[in-house]
Amino acid sequence: MAIKKKFPYRSAFVACNGGCHVNGENGCEYGCIGCGVCAEACKFDAIHINDTGVAEVDEEKCIACGKCTRECPKQIIRIHNCANYITVRCSNKDKGKDARQACSVSCIGCGICEKTCTASAVHVIDNCAVIDEDYCLSCGMCAVKCPRHVITDLRGILE
Amino acid sequence: MYTFYVNGHMVTTSKKQSLLRFLRDEMHFTSVKDGCSQGACGACTVLIDGETCKACVPQTDRLEGRHIITVEGLSDWEKAVYTYAYGEAGAVQCGFCIPGMVMCTKGLLDRNLNPTEDEIKYALRNNYCRCTGYVKIIAAVRLAAEIMRSGVIPAKGADDWKIGSRVHRLDVEEKVLGYGKYPDDFYMEGMCYGSALRSSYPRARVLSIDTSAAKALPGVVAVLTADDIPGENKIGHLKHDQYTLIPVGGLTHYLGDAIALVAAEDRETVEKAKKLIKVAYEVLPAVHNIEEAAAPDAPLVFDEETSNVQAYKHVSRGNAQEAIRNAKHVISHHFETPWTEHAFLEPECAVAYMDDEGDVMIISTDQSAYCTLHECSLLLGTDKVKCENGLVGGGFGGKEDMTVQHHAALIAYVTGRPVKVSLTRAESLLIHPKRHHFVMDFTMGCDENGKIMGVKAKVASDTGAFASLGGPVLERACTHAAGPYAYENFEIEGTAYYTNNPPAGAFRGFGVTQTCFATETLLNMMADEIGITPWEIRYRNAIRPGGVLPNGQIVDESTGLVETLEAVKEDYDAAVAAGKPVGIGCAMKNAGVGVGIPDWGRVKLIVEDDEKLHIYSGASCIGQGLGTVLVQMIVSNTDLKRDDIVYERSNTWIAPDSGTTSGSRQTLVTGEACRRACEKLMAAREGGKTLADLRGQEFYGDYLAKTDPLGADVPNPVSHVAYGYATQICILDPKTGKVEKMVAAHDVGRAVNPLSCEGQIEGGVVMSMGYALREQYPIDGNCKPIEKYGSLGLFRAHEIPEIKAIVIDKPGLNVACGAIGIGEITSIPTAPAITDAYYRYDGRRRYSLPIDGTPYERKGR
Repeated sequence: MAIKKKFPYRSAFVACNGGCHVNGENGCEYGCIGCGVCAEACKFDAIHINDTGVAEVDEEKCIACGKCTRECPKQIIRIHNCANYITVRCSNKDKGKDARQACSVSCIGCGICEKTCTASAVHVIDNCAVIDEDYCLSCGMCAVKCPRHVITDLRGILE
Repeated sequence: MYTFYVNGHMVTTSKKQSLLRFLRDEMHFTSVKDGCSQGACGACTVLIDGETCKACVPQTDRLEGRHIITVEGLSDWEKAVYTYAYGEAGAVQCGFCIPGMVMCTKGLLDRNLNPTEDEIKYALRNNYCRCTGYVKIIAAVRLAAEIMRSGVIPAKGADDWKIGSRVHRLDVEEKVLGYGKYPDDFYMEGMCYGSALRSSYPRARVLSIDTSAAKALPGVVAVLTADDIPGENKIGHLKHDQYTLIPVGGLTHYLGDAIALVAAEDRETVEKAKKLIKVAYEVLPAVHNIEEAAAPDAPLVFDEETSNVQAYKHVSRGNAQEAIRNAKHVISHHFETPWTEHAFLEPECAVAYMDDEGDVMIISTDQSAYCTLHECSLLLGTDKVKCENGLVGGGFGGKEDMTVQHHAALIAYVTGRPVKVSLTRAESLLIHPKRHHFVMDFTMGCDENGKIMGVKAKVASDTGAFASLGGPVLERACTHAAGPYAYENFEIEGTAYYTNNPPAGAFRGFGVTQTCFATETLLNMMADEIGITPWEIRYRNAIRPGGVLPNGQIVDESTGLVETLEAVKEDYDAAVAAGKPVGIGCAMKNAGVGVGIPDWGRVKLIVEDDEKLHIYSGASCIGQGLGTVLVQMIVSNTDLKRDDIVYERSNTWIAPDSGTTSGSRQTLVTGEACRRACEKLMAAREGGKTLADLRGQEFYGDYLAKTDPLGADVPNPVSHVAYGYATQICILDPKTGKVEKMVAAHDVGRAVNPLSCEGQIEGGVVMSMGYALREQYPIDGNCKPIEKYGSLGLFRAHEIPEIKAIVIDKPGLNVACGAIGIGEITSIPTAPAITDAYYRYDGRRRYSLPIDGTPYERKGR
């Protein structure tokens, strides 16, 4: 870790799975375009374009300075609490059918997560699931139930 | 086939199910508790590849190759460390959350042996505890880290087991290591599962019930309806108005009313069969609230009643009307308090079977095995019933009524099969009685010095679908509305209404949490009007030894309200001087049910073949630590040592009835019975007899806490044998507007175990921080509770402020070695103290709970 971070640790988070890149369809107008502006902007070498062509944050290195969130042309990077490892990796705001066509791992706003959540912490807003980290209990029930694998466990435990 | 590793052993399974069900039902790793199966509570937390995970979440098909660790899989060293640390810190109460907390502790310490306070809180924050307020669990983690670093487990801080000693509770190990059995942990040969089909409508007439398709489903053992009940259908804690099963032609009273009972070989078949039962209803308009219930043309909740009034109380002494008319300062206001859910970690569960003597044996989690016995005997029409408590995973008043015990008993009786009936968390939220919603109008009159001249009030409560303890709760709300102050003119009128909402009944504080909020808030307003501090107005009015309470009772030398006020003074003054917003509240709460009701404590001490003294008492430990209290009583009143004594769980065939765990009564009432049994034991040991010489002998002690009935024709009636007193203050951080510190000073008489006392105080304070700031139990237009367990607003580990628990050890009464109960009062003065602090913060008075405009208020509500 480059700089000692203050607890509770926070980090940048990229809300895109990169499914359209994987499929080569490039049909999503909301997601990461792999431009690399964030990676260039980061002084801590904490954000890179990954194998699927989208930006991904190394939470160990990130100090949540917020520079990438401001630089991102698609405005899909935000700062989150690292303790909240259950995250929605999608920013697609299209209605279900269009969102489904755009990407294989897009949020279609089906609301299963919202119905599942015991804490009322996740809501579909503008056709995309949003987790309120203040209320999330990080159980991952939404991640397990999500039919599109949009909600993921950053620790890689729940699939 | 799915293959993964549990505690180092490779396991394979072909069934796709949650990891929780696999670990419990197939592996019988019962340390993994099923508290909600919704991902909320955290009682099922395990480690998967070193990361904490709630076992109810992942399915077995997604665990290929994973390594799972449960408490059973800890090393002997880890087991010893956690048992010591949790015991020494006093972190264990009901114990249901503890294995999950232990796994969180391990998850943290495996990667960080020097965790900060914040890191500890974050490691625990996804797990709920309803008993401890987290303070001592956090301390346990800190201590465990220290021990892990040093590699040495120190000697226990206290080990003499005398009264006043901070000994480790006797049930620490079984709860930390998860081998202690709650009813849900019993798996019996040939056991089937039972569950009830609930009403589709809060108020409807049942026209027909067709169970034929359900009965024909393979795997179904029985489908029972009201016709199958051999005894009385209607049972109840006091008033028998709770239907076990709604008969054809009968009226439903709320969505939790059971229509039919299904027993089947497995849980899945039970649920399938429930869907096959066809019920025809005539849907009728429901009664949603107090206003609708009180309307002159209101639909009746009960066919049997002529109005929706469940109880009416009128308490009057002196002349409140005239005193207020003559008072220099008069303030009136309307107040409201919400429904509150107990949210104990362990959902209701009972296992029942026919024992070798042909009796129906019920293993239950409740607040009185004898209540379960009486109500189930009534239902079955036979005395051949036995009941024993398993461990009880929290109660707080919510486990006083029949929820599953009677259903389990009926299935076992009719089918002859062992059966487990448990509520899902959603059912639990709907079915057990809640804290009453109250609407209250109070008027207080004071003289120019702030001396209370009189208080007059009118209150109403929504007691929901059956009486439960609605009457006594209303009564206690009324008798204690006067507060712990010395004045003579008091009048209150209270009415409890039936509605088609979920039932309301006992909840820690028993009505006093509601009326105390009104009285204490008025007193704070009065202090401002007169120009003295809220502390000062209480000090001037405080009841002192020899004084007369507004109920006429002359209080004894043990009365310690003034001591609690003095105990918080330094913190109060310092916070005021530092410019911090501070709020204050006082309370009194009875120990023992009082008001003339026969209130017996009974204990039987038996020297068994192991030459140890076994304690038998029909008094439930619901997590408060009664067993530890009784052992400390015996060690203090005999020459026996801890190792000579065995505490047995409450049962109904050896242990004598010692009343319900309610009204903060067990420490005092059962404690005194135990002390008396000790006297007999010591008499029998004269001449140097050892326990071995007394093998097979029994020593029985009982104690009647004798009181006068309400309205007794005596000048100074004794309403209760003892009262606890408390003062709590709330200090806010002026920058963030959050609660910085709570100081809670409690007069507990002689503190039997100060460690347990502190745990009660911290837990009670955090519980009522929820009541004051956030917790809600909204009910929709169909009389259905909306929230799930995770959205009730319960406080989490990282949200608690500093809590300073002050135990005022002021021995007084000549019973139970001077001990007075602590259970309920810890939750009573909190809400008015917090509310007043927010007034000092932003200048806005709040008259209904939970209060709005604080950082704790849920966004978007």
